[in-house]
Amino acid sequence: MEMTNNLITRRQALRTGVAGVSALTLAACGSSSPSSGSATGPVTLNMLTWNDHYDPTKQLPAIQKETGIKVNVTLGSDDAAMFIKAKQSGDFDIVSADALWVPYDYQQALIEPFDIESFPVASQLYSVSKEFPFWKASGGYLGYPRAWSALRMYYNPKFVSPAPTSYEVWLDPKYKGKVVMENQPTDLVAQAGLATGSKDPYNMNDAELSRAKDFLTQAKPAFLTFVSQNTGVVRALANESAWLTSDNLGIDIRVKSAGGPLIKSAVPKEGVVGWMDSEMKVKGSHANRFEQFINAWGEAEWVPPLFKQYREAWFNEKAYKMLVNQGQGEFADALLYNQPEEAAKAHLKGPSKNPNAYIQVFNQVFGA
Amino acid sequence: MSAVAPEAVPAVGGSSSHRRSPRELLLAVSQYLGFAPAMALFGLFFLAPMGLIVAYSFWTQDGYNVVSTWTLSNYQQIFSTPVYVSTFLTTLWMTAAATALTLAVALPFAYWLARYVSRRWQRPLLFLVILPFWVSYLLRVTSWTIILGSQGAISRLLSLVGLSTPSWLLYDRPAVIFVLIYLYFPFAALTLYASLERFDWSQLHAAMDLGATQSRAIRRIMLPQIKPGITTAVIFVFIPILGEYLTPELVGGTRGVMIGNLIDNFFQEAQYATGAAVALLIVVVVMVLLVIFRRSLEVGEMYGR
Repeated sequence: MEMTNNLITRRQALRTGVAGVSALTLAACGSSSPSSGSATGPVTLNMLTWNDHYDPTKQLPAIQKETGIKVNVTLGSDDAAMFIKAKQSGDFDIVSADALWVPYDYQQALIEPFDIESFPVASQLYSVSKEFPFWKASGGYLGYPRAWSALRMYYNPKFVSPAPTSYEVWLDPKYKGKVVMENQPTDLVAQAGLATGSKDPYNMNDAELSRAKDFLTQAKPAFLTFVSQNTGVVRALANESAWLTSDNLGIDIRVKSAGGPLIKSAVPKEGVVGWMDSEMKVKGSHANRFEQFINAWGEAEWVPPLFKQYREAWFNEKAYKMLVNQGQGEFADALLYNQPEEAAKAHLKGPSKNPNAYIQVFNQVFGA
Repeated sequence: MSAVAPEAVPAVGGSSSHRRSPRELLLAVSQYLGFAPAMALFGLFFLAPMGLIVAYSFWTQDGYNVVSTWTLSNYQQIFSTPVYVSTFLTTLWMTAAATALTLAVALPFAYWLARYVSRRWQRPLLFLVILPFWVSYLLRVTSWTIILGSQGAISRLLSLVGLSTPSWLLYDRPAVIFVLIYLYFPFAALTLYASLERFDWSQLHAAMDLGATQSRAIRRIMLPQIKPGITTAVIFVFIPILGEYLTPELVGGTRGVMIGNLIDNFFQEAQYATGAAVALLIVVVVMVLLVIFRRSLEVGEMYGR
């Protein structure tokens, strides 16, 4: 039996006989199934995504006016939680995911491929973004590429000298309590894996995980706090309570914008982890409306406002030219926007064969 | 002796020899109809989630999926990993410390408010106590990261008087406890005030007239009478703090971690079965606490009967 068949469905939960479960099940049965609608008429598409993927004030109303597609957005947190939510609820038409999570979602029969070249708006994309081998399947492409980043090391040169060249900087007692990170346990354990020689940091075996744990245990004094959003990283670097981080491209610009000190970036010799995200078509949702939505949503004109707000490198080449014309070229180049081939050079975020072990490592190191 | 038919007794649980008519049954059931919405809400928002957590904690975690195969492995994993027990014990003492300090601040405030402040001013002052609730919880805690931060008001004040900022002011356990006191002070203050407001102050005067010092009179006369209020305040403060994860995440740093943060890590990576098992530890402690305090929560005693 496939693992997907073993997923806890509402029906199975009902069988447990737990009274509470039953009540919840009955309540949940009222939720809607994937939206339906004709090819051109008004329709509602349910989208599970992150907040940097859309503009609720101008973009979504404009899409509705143009195409008749109303988008109900549900915000997600992490790839794993979003996969489970989409799989169990069956309520979504479009779901977002990172890098190697996309083929995983396909293997788990959540999404289906589509012919990206048939989408007129896809001509605006960098061609490299339509050629990632792990996003290819027999029936087409698995996700519509949106944006990407790699987690580089950022440091305050006023306090951190010499410039870091390795994750081992976290072991330096000079920087005790001076590292701030986003609260992403799996990513941090993956980076510890890179630091200790793992070649596949999101799929480490027990021995590799053990080495990563030892490394993090030694590095623990360096970590000041784990923040829930990268605004927390920006704040800590801006007020100089932290001097080091490993975060998305562009943190240096954001710290500067927040009135903070000069922050420089470094690429650790062991390599970096990174992500690239996409919008995926949920299996069984309406093919024509998905394409219609992507053609409207993916238009270059919507990128600059989102770029200015979130500072991410999109895969939309036409939007890059617009940004340059709008005087945002310096920011875009700092994010490597015009070097999309760099996206695939990072160790890409993906599902682990043993996710529980990653959390166990993180909890054992950072528990009280 | 003439046979007399017994009177129909509409009480619930009558003898088996008495068969209720449909009308009587309807009457008996209708007595409880008013509770139906409460029962439905209780079932939907308490029993259902709790049942789900219990079930998940005994199901198998397989990668990112939870499989409906019964297992004890989640609990074995928790109890064989010392960090969960040590973090839980740390959480318990941090919660106990925060609760004790909250009550230590709230009790004198409520005492002062109930005894010395005129009725006219009591309401505006109580309004000030609940005023922070108008601001979101997240914003209130986040504001403390700024106040306690290296560029914050306290640091600046300390540097003005030539003192350096202690390293534990932010991103450490004292910061967590301090912010928790701030967050839960209104719950304790309002509960204690409600209890003290009903207290007959003439009893204190009588005790002191008979030679007791003020502190002895408070200890021997007032405190025993407001014990239910104190117990309620302890429960209102202790229980929610036990499950806190946002405050330690925002102001605790890596040194102020509580058990809620470890649970959050499991849920973040969709490890629901293991996360549910750890979460149930909190539930068990809460239930034990409620059993211990059960007598003090009796309604009659609460109202001084």
